[in-house]
Amino acid sequence: MRILRYIGRRFLFIGPQLFGIILVSFLLVKLIPGDPAVMMLGPFATEQQIAMLNVEMGLDGTIVDQFWIYLQNLVQGDLGTSWQTTKPVFDDLAIRFPATLELITLSLLLALLIGIPLGVAAAYFKRSIVKKFSDYYGLLAGSLPDFWLGLILIYLFYTIMQVAPAPLGRIDFAVLPPPPVTNFLIIDSLIAGNWQALWSTLGHLVLPVITLAVINAGPILKMTQATMERMLESDLIRYAEMCGLPKTTVIRKAFRNSLPSVVTIVSVLYGFLIGGAVLVEIVFSWGGAGQYAVQGVLNADINPVLGFVLFSAILSLIIYLLVDLIYFAIDPRIRG
Amino acid sequence: MTDITAGHSERSRWEAFVYALRFLFAVLRARPLFALGYFIVLLVVVLAIFAPLIAPYEPEVANPVDFLQGPSWRHLFGTDATGMDIFSRIVYAPRIDLTIALAGTMISAVVGSFIGAVVGYYQEGGGFGSFGAGFVMRAADVLQAFPVFVFAIALVAIFGQSLESIIAAIAFVNAPIYLRLMRSQVLAIRNMRYVEASYVSGASDLMIMLRHIIPNSMAPILAQLSVNIGWSILLTAALSFVGAGVVAPTPEWGSMIAMGFQNIITGQWWPSVFPGIALAVTVFGFALVGASVEVLADPARRRALAGSLRERKKPA
Repeated sequence: MRILRYIGRRFLFIGPQLFGIILVSFLLVKLIPGDPAVMMLGPFATEQQIAMLNVEMGLDGTIVDQFWIYLQNLVQGDLGTSWQTTKPVFDDLAIRFPATLELITLSLLLALLIGIPLGVAAAYFKRSIVKKFSDYYGLLAGSLPDFWLGLILIYLFYTIMQVAPAPLGRIDFAVLPPPPVTNFLIIDSLIAGNWQALWSTLGHLVLPVITLAVINAGPILKMTQATMERMLESDLIRYAEMCGLPKTTVIRKAFRNSLPSVVTIVSVLYGFLIGGAVLVEIVFSWGGAGQYAVQGVLNADINPVLGFVLFSAILSLIIYLLVDLIYFAIDPRIRG
Repeated sequence: MTDITAGHSERSRWEAFVYALRFLFAVLRARPLFALGYFIVLLVVVLAIFAPLIAPYEPEVANPVDFLQGPSWRHLFGTDATGMDIFSRIVYAPRIDLTIALAGTMISAVVGSFIGAVVGYYQEGGGFGSFGAGFVMRAADVLQAFPVFVFAIALVAIFGQSLESIIAAIAFVNAPIYLRLMRSQVLAIRNMRYVEASYVSGASDLMIMLRHIIPNSMAPILAQLSVNIGWSILLTAALSFVGAGVVAPTPEWGSMIAMGFQNIITGQWWPSVFPGIALAVTVFGFALVGASVEVLADPARRRALAGSLRERKKPA
């Protein structure tokens, strides 16, 4: 029951928070100079044409009017149209968000596979080479620009060794993509039973996933190591050791107790990567959500930016909610 | 008599200084990574100041005859697609990268921690102060809910693409970090005995904040500063990489990597690889300095380090 009360309280705050985010992003994007009507019609448009288009897009009223119109449309699930792609923003995002999510989910999974074993080993073997390596790794991973690392990987594995596919999107041009159901290409090709598409998708995922995983394993490693070190010095673990429990059991117990902080750092990274993966998306022409938003900002295309910010805000809220649920599952103290 | 005490305090101050310097060198000997960090940062600063003396070519002059030359003795790091010397451009780049990162971080640290101090000081007082503090914190929540990178690009787009607006964007996205850090520090320090004593003796709020609270909460801020400078350099390079930061002919690491992007696919690696290494090494240096400040600025950890230094000396 505690959990329901807790989640209920969380939901109370979501409304105002979302409103604040929409309001601020609306004002922010409105401040960007540039007239979409002029950009759409080109340099030879007459003033009359521009004025007509502005009326059509609802851009002729005051900023309060415009915000009101945007909110009304939003309630009906209409996020407006992007003038660059000429498609509804909702449809665009329905393709691009899965692209980004597929990328960052797999990246974080790989980052966990790198970071957690290293972190645990570095905490346990204090004077070993693993510990030295982890210390360097944590510092170095935070210093490498991810877009540069992506380029290096492309150079090594595409240009020189020619084992990786060209860094152009999520699937080979020659391969017919599976019919879109979820827009997660892996899931879609599994549903369609299209093994060729699945293989091509996985091949395209390898380099960007490695790029993001190598960089983001750094914070995971640091967090795991720091909490594990503290855990291994705690009374609880001392007692377990004195009782003569086998080493593996002791480590497992210590790790279980450090799980909450690992979950926290993963959720923070996930929220960050929704927009933060944009540079890697650009390098690999991924067509992800962040890339869509950046293009929008650079071309005074308002609706995609607002839609992106809204989507990612909602997604972060969902992630934080999930994290709280996971805390309930793994930390008996909160369950009470 | 005043003369004697003055001379005495001066000498002991000098001794303290020598002691601190000796301690620093002992630390650097024991922790060579810290020394490496200071060396890198110093080197980058020297490059920025003496760039015209070090660089063999003009950084923005293209020589179309010598385009896309590989690394050689004539062009140490090769030339890019327009024929500009990459080594010279890398040497000049910290001028703009460091300026942006330093200015952006300093502004955000000063403004952010000042607001954080005020918010932390008035948060528990009740009444209007508490209400205002809560409002500021919720506003910071909303700002931090934005994806950092898209937010920064949007800010640059709003202010127009210039050096000042990149600095402003970086200051803006960093400020909430200092705000939170300072607030949590102040919340802890505010209830200390010496703050209460100062309040009872009739000091004004501003006086208490400037004399007691801010100086005592600086340690984590200082540690954050150095790491943050490195991070701001990365952000500047990233903005330039997508074309929302420093514009092309100006030597800047991120835009240099972007310029070499097309060449890397056809096999000319040097236009992108060298600026990337310079960028990574610089950020690494600032991260190391940050790590050392974190240890040295924290009295407990400094004592532990001093203890371990002494232990090390004994057996030898």
